[in-house]
Amino acid sequence: MPEPTGVIHDIGYQRYTGPRLGRRHVFGALYLHGLRTVFGLGRSAKAKIFPWLVVGIVTVVAAGLAAVRSQLGEVVMTYAQFADAMSWLVIFFVAVAAPELVSRDLRSGVLPLYFSRPLPRDDYALAKLLSLVSALWLLLGGPQLVMFLAAAFTTSDGLRGTWNELLDLLPGLLYAGLWAVVFAAIGLLVASLTGKRAFAAGGIVAVFLMTTPIVGVLSILPSHAVNELAFLASPSTLVGGVGTWALGDLLVPEGQGGGMPIGSFGPVYAIVAVLLVTACTALLLLRYRKVAAR
Amino acid sequence: MSTVSWITARGLFGRRRFLMLLPLPAVLVLLAVLCRSLGVDPGEWAPPVLVGLGLAVVLPVVALIIGTGVLGAEIDDGTVVHILTKPLPRWQIVLPKLMVAAGVSAATVAVPLYVAGVLADSARLGLALAAASALGALAYSALFLALSLVTRRPVLLGLVYVLIWEGLLGNFVSGTKVLSIQQWVIALTDRMAPTALLSTTVSVPVAVVLTALVSVGFTVLAIDRLRSFSVAGETS
Repeated sequence: MPEPTGVIHDIGYQRYTGPRLGRRHVFGALYLHGLRTVFGLGRSAKAKIFPWLVVGIVTVVAAGLAAVRSQLGEVVMTYAQFADAMSWLVIFFVAVAAPELVSRDLRSGVLPLYFSRPLPRDDYALAKLLSLVSALWLLLGGPQLVMFLAAAFTTSDGLRGTWNELLDLLPGLLYAGLWAVVFAAIGLLVASLTGKRAFAAGGIVAVFLMTTPIVGVLSILPSHAVNELAFLASPSTLVGGVGTWALGDLLVPEGQGGGMPIGSFGPVYAIVAVLLVTACTALLLLRYRKVAAR
Repeated sequence: MSTVSWITARGLFGRRRFLMLLPLPAVLVLLAVLCRSLGVDPGEWAPPVLVGLGLAVVLPVVALIIGTGVLGAEIDDGTVVHILTKPLPRWQIVLPKLMVAAGVSAATVAVPLYVAGVLADSARLGLALAAASALGALAYSALFLALSLVTRRPVLLGLVYVLIWEGLLGNFVSGTKVLSIQQWVIALTDRMAPTALLSTTVSVPVAVVLTALVSVGFTVLAIDRLRSFSVAGETS
């Protein structure tokens, strides 16, 4: 047998010797990319239609409310009531955004590429969740800021009026954050179950819409305790219940019907909301352990 | 039963995904049974269950998922090419698929609505609900099937119609109710079984004519769109 004569030529490929950014930077990049994906930034015009349709409607409504307030001096909706009134649009926005964030990656099979980086499975899921939460908060918070600016510049009480308005805005923004966390956790969990964006969107809407009439039925049952606990059944009313308990008069002034009739079950609402978000996040992380193992 | 409808039915039932549709009707029946057994006045529980859940959520959502799925799933996969290259007239592709979609949605929705209607009032209301929701399923399926050929994002566009047009605008701007399949179904049910439980502002002749018009019109549109259909990749 002759000696092998082949050689490996050095054709000048070089190793990367520069600084390597760690886990935190991967997380940050993924978060930013997720946030841009939700609004279709850096993507084709078709991907921008639906997110910006929702943003447009919400902003126009806020501008209309602000105009009515500055012209007629009438407060049609408080900041919290604005978030409640936009619930259908928030559901639609989640149905648009959540599948874009997770279903596309599942379908095109790029997860192994992600996980070949120094990126733990949990970080991937948490980054996506965080970007959806931020996007939803921006969706609800932005219009509230528009309403605030209009109110602040037309107030007749000078700086004092602006300060009072700011004190109204802050609980509103906090409440918007609550909406964002609850809706993002549920929506992203549903979307992560399927790689088809169409099915993910349908599933999200089914989950959110199906629960609303349950509240309507539970609140007419012949039991006072059940009536006051009925709002637990649907995410949007659950958020309303927690808001009524935690922020109370800050959200809806007494003169405007007050909050939801939850009686003395306020803490129950808070605990259920925390449990719901925790459970959804835990299931999401579990899901990504399983998906990544494939 | 033609091969196309057989393939379509197998595509729908062959996946575990189909089981995800069952909770919706199950909740409907469960709530009706719960209210009935606790002796709540039907006048109070029937509107939220029959209209709020049944006709406003279960019927459109089920029809949306199935209607956009029968052809849309194949378009997404690119496997629609196999059917398109067979020497079949386009209507022989669209009609069987529409029939399967409408049939499956109607069966999924009409049965629980029948049960809920019987529990709420009478067998007559149950039958009327079942018949009207079957017609509604046909109209919705034709609309969503045509949508899946007109646009690359049929589910989202369908959701715009269901959520924003029927749901949001229907509550605030009463004029949009004339063009809402949900209101036509309510009008038809109310005509077939007059009760105090359902009410709508749309008149029965308008509902009948528009239901027929939507079913036929969107089917024709779908056939026409499939004639000049170009297969492209998933939208970015």
